[in-house]
Amino acid sequence: MGALDRLSQLGNQISGVSVSGKAKLLEKNPDDIVVTCALRTAITKGGKGGFKDTYAADLMAGALKGVIERSGINPALVEDIVVGTVLAPGGGATEMRAASLVAGFPESTAVHTLNRQCSSGLQACVDIANAIRAGMIEIGIGAGVESMSTQYGPAAVSEFSELLESHQEAANCKVPMGVLSEQMAKARNISRASQDAFAAHSFQKAVKAQAAGLFKEEIHPLKVKFEDPKSGETKEIVVDRDDGIRDGVTAESLGKIRPAFAKDGSIHAGNASQVSDGAAAVLLMKRSTAERLGQPILGKYVAASVVGVPPLLMGVGPWKAIPKVFELAGINKDDVDIFEINEAFASQCLWCANELGIPAEKINPKGGAIAFGHPLGCTGARQVSTLLYELKRRGQKVGVTSMCVGTGMGMAAVWVAE
Amino acid sequence: MASMLEFRTPGFNPYAVKYSPYYDSRLAVAASANYGIVGNGRLFVLGLGPGGIQAEKTFDTNDALYDLAWSEINENQLIVAGGDGSLKLFDITTPDEFPVMNFHEHKREAFSVCWNPIAKDTFISSSWDGTVKIWSPSRPSSLKTLPIGNCAYSACFSPTNPSIISCVSSDSHLRIFDLRTPVSAKYHLVSLIPVHGVPEPQQPPPVLSNGERFLSQPSEVLTHDWNKYRDTVVATGGVDRHVRVLDVRNPRGGPLSVLLGHEYAVRRLAWSPNASDVLASASYDMTVRVWSDGLMMPNAPPPPLPEQKPPVIAMGTQLGVMNRHSEFATGVDWCLFGTGGWLASAGWDQRVLVWDAHTLLRG
Repeated sequence: MGALDRLSQLGNQISGVSVSGKAKLLEKNPDDIVVTCALRTAITKGGKGGFKDTYAADLMAGALKGVIERSGINPALVEDIVVGTVLAPGGGATEMRAASLVAGFPESTAVHTLNRQCSSGLQACVDIANAIRAGMIEIGIGAGVESMSTQYGPAAVSEFSELLESHQEAANCKVPMGVLSEQMAKARNISRASQDAFAAHSFQKAVKAQAAGLFKEEIHPLKVKFEDPKSGETKEIVVDRDDGIRDGVTAESLGKIRPAFAKDGSIHAGNASQVSDGAAAVLLMKRSTAERLGQPILGKYVAASVVGVPPLLMGVGPWKAIPKVFELAGINKDDVDIFEINEAFASQCLWCANELGIPAEKINPKGGAIAFGHPLGCTGARQVSTLLYELKRRGQKVGVTSMCVGTGMGMAAVWVAE
Repeated sequence: MASMLEFRTPGFNPYAVKYSPYYDSRLAVAASANYGIVGNGRLFVLGLGPGGIQAEKTFDTNDALYDLAWSEINENQLIVAGGDGSLKLFDITTPDEFPVMNFHEHKREAFSVCWNPIAKDTFISSSWDGTVKIWSPSRPSSLKTLPIGNCAYSACFSPTNPSIISCVSSDSHLRIFDLRTPVSAKYHLVSLIPVHGVPEPQQPPPVLSNGERFLSQPSEVLTHDWNKYRDTVVATGGVDRHVRVLDVRNPRGGPLSVLLGHEYAVRRLAWSPNASDVLASASYDMTVRVWSDGLMMPNAPPPPLPEQKPPVIAMGTQLGVMNRHSEFATGVDWCLFGTGGWLASAGWDQRVLVWDAHTLLRG
């Protein structure tokens, strides 16, 4: 019932423009927040992949350097960089500031990090978009990174105090993801077979996409040091492809793997996201700024939502966040061409998609975290480039990125490719 | 047009004007501060006397008012539709200025209200929240909700059948609901009529009776009204500036006639209570026009076209233009009494004008 809504409704009656939600979404206005560059590094297997000996800050520096190279933006014009990162001690604040300097940004470019668990990369992009919208900055980068090879482990969560332990719902926040997802799969009757089929499909889609070179546009190759596990010698390699994608995975082959979290369970390494390393970055500014600078526009950011759900049911996050972002953007599920929903676990992703009635062919058309990995802080920013390039390739417009968030949250965002 | 009466609504921009169905000297105006975009609303109850038009009573509301309807069972009561989604029933005889009933279910702007003219025991409202609701004046919650799915600009009862409800909305459709049908997945929907028409693949596109092609695209339909004599005829008006006269028995048949002339969106339509072919329209082009729908007159034969016989749509005749409003004309209504032909119009120029259509005809 805002005055602006009434004004635009009246304006449309006079100008004769139709006002369906999607038509409104596709309008181009000078104050739109647009993406002029979105890229990611390859995503590699934790502990053994191409980035196993590369620190998170080095990955981030590589991705940021890629943004400067690809977009041709004058780095001095970038006023703020937000990096979502989950496992870094001290929030990674110090390293990321250093990484931006290495990448070629001057000291006038501010940097901070944030942590909203698995949605950190998306939160970073949203924070930059909001800062631009509010007029605090003109140009910024939302990014995300995770080196699970070097930083994943029991130290990621500190001990809970007695106070927290004495509160049941609070104590639930530290139940390991696998355990609670197992419980959710049981409670919501998500069969092992359906999870395995979903996971196998993710692998098959990713294999196909990789073979067709569909990741080429979004991946920025990095040259890194790599210690050969056999010979022990350290050499320089160029990492330019996701090494977690395996060919020949079928529902039957996954059906043979033993459950990881409970004897009678349904979740195992093959139908959950992989532990991985990677970084991603998204350059954002107003459309008017992009046009003034001659920056090519990949797409625009429309709206984002964040919701809370019970900690033990964190997997249902997208189910609650996606309808909310639809409401904010004024669209419905039929208006959306592609959903990038993070595959933290096949069980939760499948459940959310089924509950929301999203057809399988619209979800993660190039595969997801089950096939190529889920570097926690990186994923939210990674989805943006995966989504926008695929929408563009297909000549489609509207996409949604979403993920569940540990401790019981969900996020979703609407993007439009141009 | 010497005999025009005027009333000013300073600080408030009228959205609707309606004659009382009980008295020839009483009318009401729903108005809003700041063009209804932000601010209060005010309902004016006006009396026509020897001294001109006087405000007999006003009621103030916290949000804009977009429409009103007189009660058909109590001559002192009227219902208004507000920007906060509420409907308020006011009684002129109350000493204070509070509503006697408040109906608040719509989640967005309530944009039209209509009282059942036959059964008289219910009224309906339509809202930007995409619903039409049916209410009893004595019950605080709605009796029924009819889903429209998009901005429902105007809802009406059929003037001849108490069970038939119509609604036009931003998706360019006229919906007809019949409450006698069982509640099914369609919620009493019996007809979904594309107002812009759907071209028949086998047929050439329709032409007007002057031989020109008539092409139209879907656009928001803002207003409609049932003919008072022909019980299947509805006129619609909206963003595409055309007034269309439709027969609801033939949902895909396209318009019977079109009335061309308005230069901006048509905001309000009212069929004459006295003549079956006459209607008045108020438009954002600041004019109120009076028309004959062109269906009662013997049609001139369509000009011959070689080799094909496209469907021919009659063209209405504009009987006169009232151009005294200096801002959007938003409301128009016919007086039900007297010799016929008296109209009240209201516009965003903060004026209510009462005038005789016959003066237009004389030029």
